[in-house]
Parts: sequence; structure tokens; C-alpha cells
Amino acid sequence: MSLRVAGMGWVTPLGSGLDHVWGRLLNGEMAKAEGLSSPLGRTHSVFRVPAEATAQAPAHPRLRRSSAISRFAVVAGVAALEDAKLKLDAETAARTALIFAVSNGGVAYTKKFYHEIVESGAKAASPLLFPETVFNAPASHLAAILGINGASYTLVGDGAVGILALKMAEDLMLSETLDHCLVVGAEEADWLLCDAYRRWRLLRSEPPIEPFQRPPRGMILSEGAGAVLLGRDGLVEIEKIAGGTNFGKQREAGAAVEKVFSELGGETDLVVASANGTFVDEAERTALLRHCPNAKVYAMKGSLGESVGASSLWQTICGVQSLRTQVVPPVPLLPMTNGLPPPARPTGREQLRRAVISVCGLNQQVAGLRLVRN
Amino acid sequence: MPEFSQIKSQLNRARVAVVAAGIVSPLGVGLDETLRSLREGRDCVTPVTTFPIENCRCKSAGQVPDDWLADCHERARHPERLHRVARMMILALGQALTQAPGFVPELTVVGTTSGGMTFGEEYYRGLKGGPRSARRAASLIANYTPQKPVMDAQEAFGISAPCQIIANACASGTNAIGHAFDCVRSGRYQCVLTGGYDALSELVFVGFDSLQAATPERCRPFDRDRTGLVLGEGAAVLFLENLDAARNRGAKILAEIIGYGISTDNHHLTQPNPSGSGPRQAMEGALQSARIKPGEIDYINAHGTATPFNDAAEGKAIAEMFDGVPVSSTKGMMGHSLGAAGAIEAVISLLALQHQVLPPNINFRRGDEGLDLNIVANNSRTGKLRTVLSNSFGFGGTNASVIIRANEA
Repeated sequence: MSLRVAGMGWVTPLGSGLDHVWGRLLNGEMAKAEGLSSPLGRTHSVFRVPAEATAQAPAHPRLRRSSAISRFAVVAGVAALEDAKLKLDAETAARTALIFAVSNGGVAYTKKFYHEIVESGAKAASPLLFPETVFNAPASHLAAILGINGASYTLVGDGAVGILALKMAEDLMLSETLDHCLVVGAEEADWLLCDAYRRWRLLRSEPPIEPFQRPPRGMILSEGAGAVLLGRDGLVEIEKIAGGTNFGKQREAGAAVEKVFSELGGETDLVVASANGTFVDEAERTALLRHCPNAKVYAMKGSLGESVGASSLWQTICGVQSLRTQVVPPVPLLPMTNGLPPPARPTGREQLRRAVISVCGLNQQVAGLRLVRN
Repeated sequence: MPEFSQIKSQLNRARVAVVAAGIVSPLGVGLDETLRSLREGRDCVTPVTTFPIENCRCKSAGQVPDDWLADCHERARHPERLHRVARMMILALGQALTQAPGFVPELTVVGTTSGGMTFGEEYYRGLKGGPRSARRAASLIANYTPQKPVMDAQEAFGISAPCQIIANACASGTNAIGHAFDCVRSGRYQCVLTGGYDALSELVFVGFDSLQAATPERCRPFDRDRTGLVLGEGAAVLFLENLDAARNRGAKILAEIIGYGISTDNHHLTQPNPSGSGPRQAMEGALQSARIKPGEIDYINAHGTATPFNDAAEGKAIAEMFDGVPVSSTKGMMGHSLGAAGAIEAVISLLALQHQVLPPNINFRRGDEGLDLNIVANNSRTGKLRTVLSNSFGFGGTNASVIIRANEA
């Protein structure tokens, strides 16, 4: 049996469309930050999804009242099916599972719902908003729109949750009753999240994100969705998934990342890192130098920002695209004295057969996977 | 664990044992206290005092008293930072480890809906506060995330298994057990820790109240005059292990999980299809997975929230599929603990099998017209139980059923 990437789709601050965003990453572009004002008087920089990126969202009653996270997920999910040329009818939908990965979830409606309670009391609470605050609301909308009526799971976690979702998909795909599993990670930005990550001392007030910079200067939040359709056919195979480990303190993150690299083992030509301008960078640097000193390293968060629940799906898409096209995008603002191998030339042709996706989350979870082009 | 690419075809259908279980709920702490409450049909729903409810229709919930949770302090690195639901998980996990001290999970799969939500509420309310609330904010943020309670519990006992946290609304706990079961059954994993947890929070309490899904009266599952649910809280864990491996190491087998079914009802975000098709598909899936017929089920621990919509759809599906099997919902006694409910009710089903007792469906007066159900009304009964089915259904149309069988050495 093999587990292969059959299709992919994404919605990012650099737009949507697999080739469109990939082209912009190859050009070394970075998303433009917007100021997000909080009622506390502070303005936070975030990378938002441009409106045109979700313009092709299907007109479906489920999306009428839903928040941005659901629209991102639907656009990315539908694009992944189209990339695989898979049309879901009753029969194929019954043989397709859905796994949704999320960290902060529908935070905009959750905040609004609770704000009304705090400001005006329980009687002001909206029964229309409450169901959209539930973590699995976006997955429910996506399943309804695609007609999936079998297995549907929402997984929560930190930035590693996308890899954990792929691991769960791998376990589900052991069943011969499934042909496909659609894994979607999504997140929406909000000032409340910015405030929280700022107080946690992980946020930078202004762009850019500078991966692997010493000392780390902080991250910028972003939003969007990534979708990976797993199947039995496709050019790129998921050879191994390290289903994750945990660390108690930030200074223990490096050992956890190393454990994941050890578990993944084997040769690799490319590592798509989760470096985001925080303690994560140092944790990954140590593991990279020890386990794959000759691999190319790509870190996309300088271009797309830190979208937490969606990020590891974006990283996976970047890894698969690199193996498909044999090109690695440049890492904007990568310091030349970072001790890592030199970055890939912007449009240089590479000899890429294997890629590792490394994910160190911000709240104790670490995971990774190894891709191979067959 | 064999790698996916090394697997030639679908793996064997290994048998899956439950080798330990722990529980903290309004019914009590531990298996013995829970069993006593079930036998007595104890009503553990009490007035809510931890947040303002004067503007809510519903005033009560099943609550775990804080003084029950004090024992976990010696285990935690920073007990003052722990959310109370993390304390519940530590207690439940500790009970299970006492029963099976050598259990080392390769994977943890647990369910929740909101984790440490009250920390998020405190953080939000503190945004307008002074420096003191600002100082506490970082700790609240780090500890409010839904995955944190299980990671705290694992850390307390030196367990480092990767954690998959399922948030499938009220079906989360049963989905977690079901997926854990599938993982062991596939032969890929030997030992998986599973369960669920959730604690009461103002946001969720007011949310159900705003939907008028919560009742100001007593919670009366499957009663003709039911008016809604009351919320609850708690945590439960189960240790699942490959049955042969467990027997080989001489482990005590509490029961076997033999089937799991899952479905997604796309009818509406919060309401089930009135035909009962979602619950039916999940229960049929569980029976197929277990390779048994409906007539082999001896008791159903129903989702039975006491909302008009749920009980009608679930009751219809049960009545159509099963012929007079005893049914009860234990939520009348302890409320609906959301992401913990499926795990707690799996442990209750386990106790039912071990002690040959049918847990009661309290506050029941008269059955729904047109629903031919054999409700275990108000008082527990003894029964001859070999196989039990437990249901959980949730917002988003998530439906899950597991089938548990008594251990037959």
C-alpha cells in the first residue's frame, strides 16, 4: 500500500490557486501586512487573505452566515479535489473521509459571541453565532458542501496539528473502504489572537518574519487554508509520518524536533521548515545541522506568515510542489550567517527526490513527515 | 509500528481489549463511586454558582466539586497553572495507571469541545483590567488551548505519546474511542490511550441557553414532555490494548471493544435529520464493524440529551433497528458533558457489563408517542448483559457509536 498526494489547494495571503501562489513564492514575494486595530488601542500587523482569493467560493446556504475560516477551507478543499480531477458523487463521497485541522478556529465569532455576553449579559447572546463557535463548524460546512457523509474528524492542536491530521489520515487509509482522505487546515486572523500571541512574547509588531535570524525577532500572524487530498495514486508519496512528540518548555523544543528527525530517518534533499522568527527556529536549526546538513532548507513563513492550523498544510504543499517541479523557492531575508546550508537559487533546477516537512508548534507539539517522488 | 508503505494490504483485525479505565464526573471519582451512583440513580445536577446565570433560562448543571480535584496537585509541575479540566484528566489517568501501571501508549486519542475555555474567558475579561490581569494573561493563554489538559495529564505521569485531540462537538469522546479502537484493531498499534474531557464554561452554558436547547426544568431523556438538556463536565480515560498482547502479559481485561461506526449528517449544523438517518448510519456501521446483528445488543447507552430533536431522531433509529432492547440515557443524572460524554458513557457501559446492571434513565414519566422504546425508567435494574452499544451525536452532524463486549476469557 502507498499513500500519495492526489491533489492540493490553498488560500493564502498571496492569493489562491496552486500555480498562482507557487509562482509568487518562486519570485520570492512576501505578503503585504495590514494593520488590524484592537479596541484596546493597539494596531497589530497581520497577513490577511485578499478578498479575490475566495471569490470563487461556491454559493451555498451553509456559507451564508459562516465566518472566514469556513470560506477559506471550502475554497482550498474544492481546489484540492479539482487538482486531483476528482468529482465527488454519492459513491465516491462515501469512500472519502475528511479531516480538518485547526488551532484557533472560528475566533471572530467566538469573540463576538462572548463579547455580547460580557457587555450586555446572557440575554444578548446570539443563537445564530453560537453554533459557528464550535470547532467542527467549518468541517461540517465543508462536508455538507462536498456531500461527505461518512468519516469526518476535526483535530485541534498547535501548529503541528496539520501533520497530526495527515497521520490520522494515514491510519484511516489503512481501511480499504476508503479511496481518498481530504485533509484541510484553516485559520482566520483576529486582533484577539494577535493580542494573545503578543502577550506570549511571540509576535513582532511589524514585518518581516526573518527565519533563522539570531536572536529571533518574532512572527506575524496570517490566515488562510491548505488542503491535501490523499489517495492511492500520485507522483509524490508520503513515505513516513512521525506522528508527533511533545515538549514541556520552549528550551526543550530542540530535543523534540531532533526526536522527530531521528524517527523520520533516511536521506533527504530538502527540508521545509516551520521557522517563524521565534524559538522554533533555533530548535529546528540544531536538528537540521545534525540530521540533514546537506539538504536544502526552505522556510515559507517569511512569505505567508504564521497561520498556525493551516501552516503545516502549506509547508506540505510546498514540499510536494518542489518535488513535482524540481524547484525550490528562495527564502526571503535568510541571513547568510545562519550556519545552515546555502538556500536554493531562486529558479535553479534541483535534483530533488525526498523532502522532509518539519513542524515545531508553539504550544508543545512537534511532528514531521517525509515525502518521496516516485 | 509498521510503516504504511510496508503494508501490503489491509491489516489483520486484531481484537481490542480495555485494560484500564478512569473516570471523574458529577457521579463521583473512580469506578466504584460511579457504580454506586448509577445503581442508586443519583441525581447529581446542582445549581450553577461559578459564573453569572441570572439571565439564563437554565440554572443548573452536573458539576464536579473542586475539592474532589485536590489530589492531583502532587503530580503537577505547576498545579497553580492547571485548568480544572486538566486536574480531572490527571485524576482519571492516575486511576487507570493504578490499574495498569505498565501501560505505555504509542498514541493518545482524546476528545474535547472546549478544553480550558474558562481560561480564555478570564483572559478576555481581563483585557480591560490592570497590570495584575496582564501578568496572568500569558499563563492563561498558554493553558487555555484545547489540547493542553491532556498534555498536562501526560506530563504528570511521564507519558510522551503523540496526542490527537478530536473536537467533533458532542461526539468527540466516542469518536476518540472509536478511532483508537480502529488503530489497535488495524494491528499497527499495540497500546492507545483514549478518552475525553470537558469542563463547564460560561460561553458554552450561555450558548446552549441561547439556542433554548438547555432546560430550566429537570432533564428528562426520551420523556414525552422533555424540554432540553442540562450541561455537565468531567473526564474519562480508557487504555486500549491488543487483546493477545494484553493476555500474554497477564493483564486484567475489563472488556473488549468490538465495533465502531461514524457518520456525518449534513442536514443542518445543529439539528439532526428527523428521519434518524445519521444515528442509524453510525449504529449500522458499528454493527457491521463488529460483525454482529442488532439482536445481539443487550443494552444501549443512548446519547439521549433530552432535547426534542435529538431524542426523536435517535429514538426513531433505535426503535427501527432494535427490538425492545433496554435503553437509557445517563445524562439525566449528571448532565451532558459534551466532549467528555462519550468517554464517560463508555466507562458507564463498561461498568454495566462488569456488574450486570442497567443504568437508569432518571426523571422519566411517560414515553414519547410513536417511539417504541424499552426505557430503563428511573431505577437501575439487573440484567444479563454481554454486548452494549453506546451512542454520541453532536453539532455539525457528527454521529458515533461504539460496541463494547464483556470479557470472555
